[in-house]
Amino acid sequence: MADISAPVAAPARRSGGFRRTFRKLPVTAIIGAAILLFWIFTVLTVQFWPMAEPLDMVGRRLQPPSAEHWLGTDALGRDVFSRTMHGAVWSIPIAILVVACAVAIGSLLGAISGFFGGWTDGIIMRLVDVTVAFPPILLAMAVAAMLGPGLTNASIAMVIVWWPIYARLMRAQVLEVKEREHVEAAIAGGASPLRVLRVHVLPLCWTPTLINATMDFGQVVLLAASLSFIGLGAKPPSPEWGSMISEGATRFYDWWIAFGPGMAILTVVLATSFLGDGLRDLFDRRSQ
Amino acid sequence: MKHFKLKTGLAAAFVASTALVGQPASAQDSDTLVIARTLAVNSLDPSRAFCDTCQFYLTAVYETLVTLAPDNQSLVPNLAESWEVNDDFTEFTFKLKDATFADGSPVEASDVAWTFNRLKNVQASPSFLMEGLVSAEAVDAKTIKFTVEAPNSEFLNKVSAPYTGIINAEAAMAAGATDTAEDNAESWFLSNSAGSGPFTLESFSPDAELRLAKNDAYWGEAPGFNEVVVTEIKDAVSQAQALETGQVDIAMQIDPDTANSIRSPEIVTEVIPSYNFTYVGFIPAVDEVLTKEVRQALALAIDYEGMIDFTVGGNGVKQAAPIPNGFPGTADLTPRSQDVEKAKQMLADAGVSDLKMVAGYPNDNAYGVDFNIMMQKVQQDFSNVGVELELKPLTWAVWRDELGSGEWPVTAIYYAPDYYGSGQYVAYFSMIEGYPWAGRAGRDKPELVVNPKEAELYAKALAASGEEADAVYAELGQEMMDDAIIIPLVSPNLVLAYRDDIEGVRYSACCNLPLSEITRK
Repeated sequence: MADISAPVAAPARRSGGFRRTFRKLPVTAIIGAAILLFWIFTVLTVQFWPMAEPLDMVGRRLQPPSAEHWLGTDALGRDVFSRTMHGAVWSIPIAILVVACAVAIGSLLGAISGFFGGWTDGIIMRLVDVTVAFPPILLAMAVAAMLGPGLTNASIAMVIVWWPIYARLMRAQVLEVKEREHVEAAIAGGASPLRVLRVHVLPLCWTPTLINATMDFGQVVLLAASLSFIGLGAKPPSPEWGSMISEGATRFYDWWIAFGPGMAILTVVLATSFLGDGLRDLFDRRSQ
Repeated sequence: MKHFKLKTGLAAAFVASTALVGQPASAQDSDTLVIARTLAVNSLDPSRAFCDTCQFYLTAVYETLVTLAPDNQSLVPNLAESWEVNDDFTEFTFKLKDATFADGSPVEASDVAWTFNRLKNVQASPSFLMEGLVSAEAVDAKTIKFTVEAPNSEFLNKVSAPYTGIINAEAAMAAGATDTAEDNAESWFLSNSAGSGPFTLESFSPDAELRLAKNDAYWGEAPGFNEVVVTEIKDAVSQAQALETGQVDIAMQIDPDTANSIRSPEIVTEVIPSYNFTYVGFIPAVDEVLTKEVRQALALAIDYEGMIDFTVGGNGVKQAAPIPNGFPGTADLTPRSQDVEKAKQMLADAGVSDLKMVAGYPNDNAYGVDFNIMMQKVQQDFSNVGVELELKPLTWAVWRDELGSGEWPVTAIYYAPDYYGSGQYVAYFSMIEGYPWAGRAGRDKPELVVNPKEAELYAKALAASGEEADAVYAELGQEMMDDAIIIPLVSPNLVLAYRDDIEGVRYSACCNLPLSEITRK
C-alpha cells in the first residue's frame, strides 16, 4: 500500500546531479560559498596558524597596521588580525547552532501547525505573532539581559527571536503541499498522519527554509555581534567580533581596532546574502 | 487644497517644535558657554545630589560658606567672611557676608542652619558629610555656630563641599521642603533653584541637557556668561569632535589618548594631575579564601606601571593608599610594585592553589579609564600567579544594585574627592565597623575585615591638625594599604580641553569646574 503513496512530485532538478546544479549557480553565489568555506576552514584550523595568540600582549598598544601586526594592535597590545581570525571560532559556530536550533524548532512547530490545523494551529501561530511583534534586537536584548550576559544566553535569546520565521515558512509550505493529490492518495491509502507528514509532505517543503536559513546565517552573526557590542554577549577578553568593535568604537582614531572585525562581519553577511540569492534563483520557481 | 493644508500643518509642526526645543545651543555665541559631558545626574537637590556634574552645578548655583582656593588646599571665604574654631575642634562659628539669594532676600544664619539640618536629616548620599553634627544654630542673623559630637579638624573642609551649598530656606519651604526626614521636595529642585550663586537653574532634561541662566541679582562679581548649557555627549571621541567643530566650548571627559589625536590649533588641551583614582576592591564576605595574606599577594601580582600605560597611555600616576596623592598624609607612602615571585610564594604559603574568582564591575569609562581594558589587564596579571579571574561587566545600575549582595568577590570602581581632606577617604574606605567599605567587604561577617586600630587613629587624626594630623593620616594610609581591601590602580591625569577663546578653565578638588571663573576672550 505504501508504495502507491510514494512521493511522485520529487523535484525534477535533482536528477540533474550536483554538478549541473552547481554550474547553474550565479557567480556571486559561488563567491559567497567560497567566502563561507574560507571562514569555516578558519574556524577549524585557526589554532594551528603561525601567529600570535589572541589573548597575549605581543606588542606596544595601539600600533597601526604593520608587517608584523597586519591589523595593528589594540589597547592592550594584542594582535588585531589574530583576534579577528580567532573571533570566527566564536561567531561562526554560534551562528550555525542558532540557525540550526531555530530551523529545527520553528520547522517542527510550523509543520505541526500547518498539517494538523485547528486549535494547535491557533496556539502556535498566536505565539508566533506575539514573538514577531517585537523588534528582534529588542526582544533579544530583553531575553539576554534577563538571563545575564554571556554567549550561551545570547544564543538562547537569538533562537527565541528566530524560530517564528521558520514556523511561518514551514506552515505555509505544509499548507500548500497538504492539498496535493499524492498526499490525499496517501491519506486515502490509510497511512498514519505522522507518516504522511514525514514521508509525503515534509520532503517537499524544505527549499524555502534552506534559502532563508542561508540568508539568516549572516543576520545571526550580525545580531550576535550587536548583543556583544552592547555588552550582553561575549565577555572580555574573548575575541568576539562585536565586543572588539565595541572596544574600537571608543577609540575612533585608532581605526584598525574595529576594522578587522568589521570586515569579518561584512564578508560573512555579504557571502550569505549572495549564496542565499543564488540558491533562491536555483530552487524557487516563482522567482525565475 | 489638500497640499496647502499639508504645508500649513508642517509649518505649524515646525513652529511648535522650535518653541518646545528652544534655541539650539551653539558655541562661539558670545554670551553662551556650551560644555560637553555625560550628565549622569542623580539629583539636583543639594542635600541629595552626589555626582560629578552635581559638583559644578551646585557650585555655580548654590554657595558654600567657605571654598577651596585655586591651590586646591587652602580655604577662602565664600558666603562666610570669617570663622572661628575652638581649641578641641568641636565648635565652629561663621560670620556671614551681606549676600543675597537670587530672589533678593538676604542670606541669613537661619538659612544656613536649615540647609545643614536638611543635609543631615534627609539621609541621602551626601548626608555622611554631616555625620557627628550635633547642632547648627543661628546665634544672630549673621552668625552661625556648629557643634560636632567629637573633635573634627576636618569639619571646615567639609563645609567647602558643594553639597553644603546654602539653600534659600523660605523659598524652599514655600515649595514644600522641610529640614526633616519627611522632606520630599527633591523633584522641585529639578526645575527650580534657590541659591545665592552667580547662576540659576533654567531647565534640566535628564540625559540630555542642563541649562543655567545668569543670576541678574547676583551680589558678587557678575559671571562671564549669560547662559551655560551642559549638553550630553557620551564618549570622548564625540566630545572631541564637537569641540573641533565649534559645537561646544569645553569638553570635560576627554582622555589623554583622544587628546593626542586632536589636531585643530584652535583647541587648547592641558594635561594635569587629578585627585581621581580607580581601584580594585576585594569582598572577602563572598569568598573567605581572600584572607589578608591572599589579598596582599594579589595586590603584589598587579603590574602597576603597565596598568598606567594600558589604561591611560602613561598619562597617570601610581597611588599607594586609597587617599589621592597630594592629600594630607600621602607624602611618605610608597606605592606598591609588582613582585610576581613574592606573590606566588605568599599564595603558596597561604595554601591557595587553583583560585578562581569572578569580578563584577560597571562596564564604564571613568576619567579616561576603560574599565574593560583595566580589568582585562588585572585578569592577565592574576593569571601570572595562577589565579583565574572571570570578568563580569555590568551596567552601572545593575552593579550598584548588586554591590553588597552580589556573588562576585572582586570589583572595581572609581572615586573623586568632594573637598580637600583625607578624612573623607577614611570615612569611606577604612575598615572601621559601620563604614561603607567595611560593610561591603565584610557584610554580615565584619570580623573578616575590621581593623580596630583604624578607628583609634581616625579619632586621633580628627582631634589634631596641621602636621600632627598629617602624620596620623600617614599611619592610617599605611593601615589601609595593609588591609589590602582597596587596591588603587591608577590616578589618571585629567585633560582640560577647550577652545582657545575661552579663559579661566581650571580643575578644583571640591567643585570640579568653577563655572563663574570662565570667560570668553
